[in-house]
This record gives sequence, structure tokens and C-alpha cells, in this order.
Amino acid sequence: MSTTTPQKKSAVESPEQIERRRIVEQFLLFQESLPKVDALSYQWLLNEMVPMSMAVENNLNQLDEYSSLSSQSVEPGSQDLNEEFSELSLNKFEYTPSHKLIAQLHNANDDQKDKSNERLFKIGSGIGSKMTELLIFSNNPNLSFNSMDALGMVRFICKEVWKQLYGKQIDNLKTNHRGVFYLFDYEFQPIQNFALDDDEKVLLDVVAPYIQVPLGVISGILTSLGVPEDDLSISFTYVDIPEDRRKPLGQFPKGVNFNIQINQLQNSQD
Amino acid sequence: MSTTAGTPNTASTANVSSLASSKTIKQIGETAWKNRTVKINAELFTLTYGSIVSQLCQDYQRDFKKVNDQLFSMGYNIGIRLIEDFLARTAIPRCDNFVTTSEVISKCAFKIFLNITPAVTNWSTTKNSFSLIFNENPLSDFVELPMDASKELWYSNILCGVLKGALEMVQLDCDVYFVCDVLRGNPQTELKVKLNKILKDEMPAGED
Amino acid sequence: MAIQSVFIINKSGGLVYNHNFIEPKGAMNSNDYLILAGTLHSVFAIASQLTPKAVQISNKAEQRADTQVPYIGGIGVSENRVAPTQLGSFMGPDYFQEPFTNWNKSGLRHMVTDEFSMFVFQSLTGIKFVLVSTNNFRNNTSVSIAENILRKVYCIYSDYVMKDPFYSLDMPIRSELFDRNLRSLIESL
Repeated sequence: MSTTTPQKKSAVESPEQIERRRIVEQFLLFQESLPKVDALSYQWLLNEMVPMSMAVENNLNQLDEYSSLSSQSVEPGSQDLNEEFSELSLNKFEYTPSHKLIAQLHNANDDQKDKSNERLFKIGSGIGSKMTELLIFSNNPNLSFNSMDALGMVRFICKEVWKQLYGKQIDNLKTNHRGVFYLFDYEFQPIQNFALDDDEKVLLDVVAPYIQVPLGVISGILTSLGVPEDDLSISFTYVDIPEDRRKPLGQFPKGVNFNIQINQLQNSQD
Repeated sequence: MSTTAGTPNTASTANVSSLASSKTIKQIGETAWKNRTVKINAELFTLTYGSIVSQLCQDYQRDFKKVNDQLFSMGYNIGIRLIEDFLARTAIPRCDNFVTTSEVISKCAFKIFLNITPAVTNWSTTKNSFSLIFNENPLSDFVELPMDASKELWYSNILCGVLKGALEMVQLDCDVYFVCDVLRGNPQTELKVKLNKILKDEMPAGED
Repeated sequence: MAIQSVFIINKSGGLVYNHNFIEPKGAMNSNDYLILAGTLHSVFAIASQLTPKAVQISNKAEQRADTQVPYIGGIGVSENRVAPTQLGSFMGPDYFQEPFTNWNKSGLRHMVTDEFSMFVFQSLTGIKFVLVSTNNFRNNTSVSIAENILRKVYCIYSDYVMKDPFYSLDMPIRSELFDRNLRSLIESL
């Protein structure tokens, strides 16, 4: 052994390291063996959530109108008409094309926008809380939830959660160490294929609802890891993409900065 | 000006046998799944879809018929776009009959997008309707329905919409609906595809 | 192959996309292009009607030699993409790597004049992809090459137009991503 150079010496692994490497490999193999689906199917699902959310908004409003209409029931002919209508809706499924729903959402009033966004946020938070469970029981050797502080949780989101959901990690994490975190994703994957050749302002506004889902995911993860919901505020802003991250074949014109604030931490340290 | 419409193309003659005989529908699906798709964990897909359904149930205040409709139209919107991806990816020839269509749906489309191959069965005597039996379903694995939902909700109804939309784009007007679902306590999950008519007027010229 | 233009025509004969890689000699305004697309759509259908019944009856597409298109490797795949990489959502070094059957059995497929040649590829959903080249190709190999290129245009269309939820089916395509990826395909020929 004395003849080995220092470099080689460091290449020799301790039993603990070997054991750890074995566990990691085992974990990766296990991950590999889990049932899979085409990532595209997942993308279609994500793409369709926003128009769906608007469709629900429309339907709920219609229901309100309908019930107020039928309660009036004054004219003699109106009841037949109602019956006819209900018959129609039985035979033909109601369908509005996605792009129309997205346009409707873009032009909707603030109240409708808020409700639709809240719906998407809630779906996201449902995904987030279930993901926590999934990742806790995944036996990932890189994860230990026992002594996870706020920074640990956010790191967990940046790495494991983002990788599972979007196939890549968060590009950059900044924090003031007092409960405020900025997560930069310069190529937020679900919106990379989105292109609206109008002015950028419209594009960014139309895409904003799509970012409600990951905001919800972050919230779902943090609350399921024990952060009280009231102490949490999550929002996003668009950010410019650094020059070296630009792609020759095009990409979404902006990156996304996810902003997490955990108030409890702020207060306790003030 | 000279036009050649369907002139025999000698350059490609050599490839005919290799394409037509050896590449079965099943192989096209399996090769595409194995080598040509980016994969994600199915559980992620399951829980994402689960979140959507449960939110819809809440929004429609457990009016499950409305939830079914919403899932269907969501699927329809996916189907009319997904079909182009499927065709560009596989360049699968037009099916001569509905039996071949059923094979393509099961062994090719479901294989590529969800990595499952539902069994095709229960053909009508006229061969214009069949059932797909799902032994596994990545939309609903490990899902349990609450009592009130298990009577009315078709949990995976999005699939019907996707099939409806996709088939319509290749000029097949079909009814697509679930007959039973293990989530409802039925012994199996069965989806029915019934061909109403071939939309001849919309059939692109040049296919005959 | 010097590519002059790529057109995409929807199933009702409306022009949804056109791009000139080489400016055509005679100036054409946007209306001219719309008329061209509509005319092409009709001529395509007429050609289909004119195809002798005997050819049509020789039925199954898979068994007809002329509808088989061989895979021609290396078309439009630039150097930096050779590795097992991803082309949009298409995995692997190329969009496809096997011979395929042309869906167009009896419609207009290839047209040659002294000035240019034109190739038409139609998907099962009825969308036509048209390629115009400044060369007057008359051989079958060039038809195969053109059809390989056009199927790739279809792949790019399915990737960047169909996965854009803001796109309205059958309407003009205004997507920078689609533009760029198409340009990259044509320029690397």
C-alpha cells in the first residue's frame, strides 16, 4: 500500500462508502424497475389542466344561471324548451376547444381568474402532498426527513421533486436565510413548447395560469412536511434568461422565479 | 408539365417486404415504447390525474355525471392533438377494417403512451364494436373510490374522450364509454368502442 | 436539394403555413399563396379521381410498392445531434429510422416542371405538407428523399404545433419554435 500515490489512495473506498454506493445503486435500479408511462402523456395532462379549469368555471356559472332560470318558470312554452335542452346535453357532450378556453380565461374578469387559478393551485397542492408521501416511502438514500429544516425542505423541492416532475432540477436557489427563498428555473419544462407569436406581454399573461400548478405543488410539499399553511406565501415572477442558457432552437422567452416565504421563520429570527 | 400520381417507385421496392411482413403492429408499438419515448414514473402520472379528479369532484359538489363529462371533454381535447403525434411517430397505414383499428389502439397507441396493452374482446357480430379490458391502468392504480362515487363516477373517463377525439380525426365516428370498472366493484374494467360510421365525406382525397 | 418553400395546407384546403427559404422569382402576395394552396388542394383531389381504377383496385397499401418510402438516413440531422439525443419529444438520433408507407395512394404526389419540382405528403388526418425545390427532379430517389423530409416536417409539426395549447386547429401557424426547428431541418440538408 505504501507505494500507492495519494491520488490512488483516495480512490480506495472505505467500507461505509462502498455500502453507501451499493444502496444508491440499488435505489436507482429499483426506480428503474418501477412502472413507467410516456412523458408525453403527462405533458398532455398538464397542458389540458388550464383549459379544463376554465371550462369548470364556465359550467359552474352556467349552472347558476340555469337554476335561476328554471326557478322563474313563467311562460307556458318555457318548460318544453328546458326539457329539449336537457335532452340535447344528454346526446351531445359539451365541448369547447382548449385554445378557446384559454382565450376566455385570458379575457375573464378578476374574480373568474382568481377562482380558476385557485383551482389549479389546489390541484398542484394535491400533487405535492401525495408526492411527499411517495418520496418519503421511496427509501431514497439521499433523503432524510428527520432533521429537515426549511432550507432542507426547499432543497428537497429543488432537487428531488423537480427532477421527478419536470425531469430537471431548479437552476438556482437563493435565500436570505430568514424564510425567503427564490427558486430560479430558466427552462420551466411544461411551458417550453408554448409559443404565441403575439407580443410577449400577452404570452406571459396567458401562460401565468400554468404556473399555478407548480406553485400549488410547492405549497403541498411544504405543508405536508409540517409548515403551517398560514405561514406560507408562494408566488412567482418571470425572469430574464442568462445569455449562456439560451438555446439556438428557441425556448420560452422567460425563466420563472418561484418565491417562497415562510413567515414563522422570519418572525422568529427578527 | 408532367405529373406523376402514384407511379411505381422502383427505388423503394426492396423495402416492401421488410416493412409489411416483419413489422407487425405489435412490434411497431413495442419498438416505439422501448427506444423512442421519454419515460416517467407511472405513480406520478397516477397521482396527478388523481388530483385532477378529486378537485373536479369537489368543484361539481360530487355531481359525478358532470365530472364524467368534464373528464371526457378534457380527453377529447387531448385526443384531437395526440393523434398527430401518434401518426407522425408511427406512420401507421390506414386500417382496412375495424379489427385492425382495435389492434392499433391496443398494441400500438396504449403501448406507446401508457405502456399497457389492454385486451381486445367482446366483438359484436357485425364487427363494429369491441371492448378493451384493462388489467392494469396507470390512471387508477392504487385508487379507491368513496362509496358515493363508486356508483356514478367513471374514474378513467378521460380515456374515452381521448379515443373519441383521436378516432374522429381519422374519420371514424365512434361512441366510446366505460361498461364497468374494478373501482366500482366490478370484476373487470371494460371500455367499449362502437363505430357509428366512417366519415366518408371527410376522408382526405388520395386515400380511396 | 435546394428547397425553395414549405407549405402546410389544412384538410379543407386552407393555407396554414408557408415559408420561403429561397425567394421565388415572381413576387407573390399572401392572397396568391392562399389561391395556390386551394388550387393544389383541388388538383390533388382531381389527380386522385384520374388515377386509373386498376391502380386503385390493386388494393392494400402495404402491398403496393409505390406507396413504400425507404428510410434515408442523415437527412436534416445536423452534426451536433448525432448522439443519442432528443429531437423535441422524439428520442433517438433521428425522428424515425425505418421505411414507411405513404398514406397518399392516388393523389398528387410529385410534380415536375423545367423550373421546379413539388412534392406533396398527406397525413391520415388530411393535412398536406408541400415541398418546393428549385431543381427539376425526375427520379424516384428524389421523391423518396422529399418524402423523408416531409415526414420530418410532420414530426416537427406534431411536436411544436400540436403541443402548443394556444394553437387553434386548422388555423394559421404562428410559432417561432416551429419556425426555428423547421429552418434548422431545412438548413442542415
